[in-house]
Amino acid sequence: MKYDVIVVGGRIGGSVSSLIASQNDLDVLMIEKRQEIGTPVQCAGGTTYSTFKTLDMKPKKKFICSEIKGAMAHAPDGREINIFEYGLMVDNLNIESPSKGYVLDRKIFDKHLAIQSAKAGTDIMVKTTAKDLIIKDGRVCGVVAKHLGKTMEIHADIVIAADGVESNIARLAGLENPKKPKDIGSCAQFELVGLDVDPQWLHFYFGREIAPGGYLWIFPKGEDSANLGLGVRSSKNTAYHYLKKFTANLDATPVELNIGGVPLSGPIGKTFTDGLMVVGDAAGQVDPITGGGIHIVTSCAKIAGEVAAEAIKMEDTSAKTLQRYDVLWRDKFEDGLKTSLKYRRAADKLSDKDMNALAEYLVTNHSEKFSKLGAVKFLGKHPHLLKLIKEFL
Amino acid sequence: MEYKADRCGYCAACVAVCPHEILKQDENEIIIIEGCDDCGKCTIVCPLGALNQEEDYL
Repeated sequence: MKYDVIVVGGRIGGSVSSLIASQNDLDVLMIEKRQEIGTPVQCAGGTTYSTFKTLDMKPKKKFICSEIKGAMAHAPDGREINIFEYGLMVDNLNIESPSKGYVLDRKIFDKHLAIQSAKAGTDIMVKTTAKDLIIKDGRVCGVVAKHLGKTMEIHADIVIAADGVESNIARLAGLENPKKPKDIGSCAQFELVGLDVDPQWLHFYFGREIAPGGYLWIFPKGEDSANLGLGVRSSKNTAYHYLKKFTANLDATPVELNIGGVPLSGPIGKTFTDGLMVVGDAAGQVDPITGGGIHIVTSCAKIAGEVAAEAIKMEDTSAKTLQRYDVLWRDKFEDGLKTSLKYRRAADKLSDKDMNALAEYLVTNHSEKFSKLGAVKFLGKHPHLLKLIKEFL
Repeated sequence: MEYKADRCGYCAACVAVCPHEILKQDENEIIIIEGCDDCGKCTIVCPLGALNQEEDYL
């Protein structure tokens, strides 16, 4: 078997890059290790409007669970902060505010994208795992795949690795190493029925007792259910332990449990080599603060599909040509992701007491529009925060 | 490293951090190849405690 492009992984990064490559008349194969695209879900489903702008696609009712109008942060002491009202989200990072957008049904959305890709001409093999890369004279020229116990070599001029957090393909190509545990968000989530939440508001809870090294989220899925999940890092107990603890006294019942690891270390050093591009979680195209990345991955995967098409038309799939993918996506997102990582590392040093103090300051000073005098007074009371704020700046 | 398949959700977070690259993921299976030195990194990131966690972690 020989294709122009093989895409490994059939979630958003894989389906978008294969869709764009097929729309540009390439012969494309996408392989997915699971037997059903979209499952199991490993995501809370929140994304911004820009995802659909990038895809030039209208958001459809069948995969939009809720349209989000705002978000509330809950400090460890219970103090509430309206994130949108305070403009606290990362407006200057070229990362859209997550407090406005949609909650997607990822099962339906992912499959919808795969269907669009198939309609554009992509061949799809499910229940097919990429076991190895075919590398000849230092260039990637296909994958060794296994389907129902049968191993086969599938050749291609370009392989696009969209194989998720384990980043197996990038490792086989020598582009990535194992991650440190502190750079992985260990996540567990219930889809809960019966939770009494406003379907247009997201909620984020912070605190060492709730989600050490991370945060807990509630993303409503319409009137009847919500994704309630959390991510922890380097914690004593498992993510599931904290999930059970938080939900123990809620009058709601789960209909689904999702788990996953989210890469929070920012982008990998190099996302291309001869005959290979890396997209999505595998490339670290995830915001290190929020763990969100749907709109980033969508845009990066689109670029990968376009660059693949250019390279095939030029009959040059060398690293020199595919580097254009790396340059284009970094130009769009790298500064934001790196700044976000810097912020996260500074925020890692905040104790619950610090977070409560900051929340109190923000709530108290809201009407005064953050006067310089107010800030000086606050930092005078909390001098150790001054050092952290310098790191932020 | 003791792997409890009945507590595994196959998310591959463990695969992402294994420094010896001896953990591999198939569709519904985590495969442990020989060579584990019990460094414990996979234990830290496993959301469900499938890797050598005490029962009371749940």
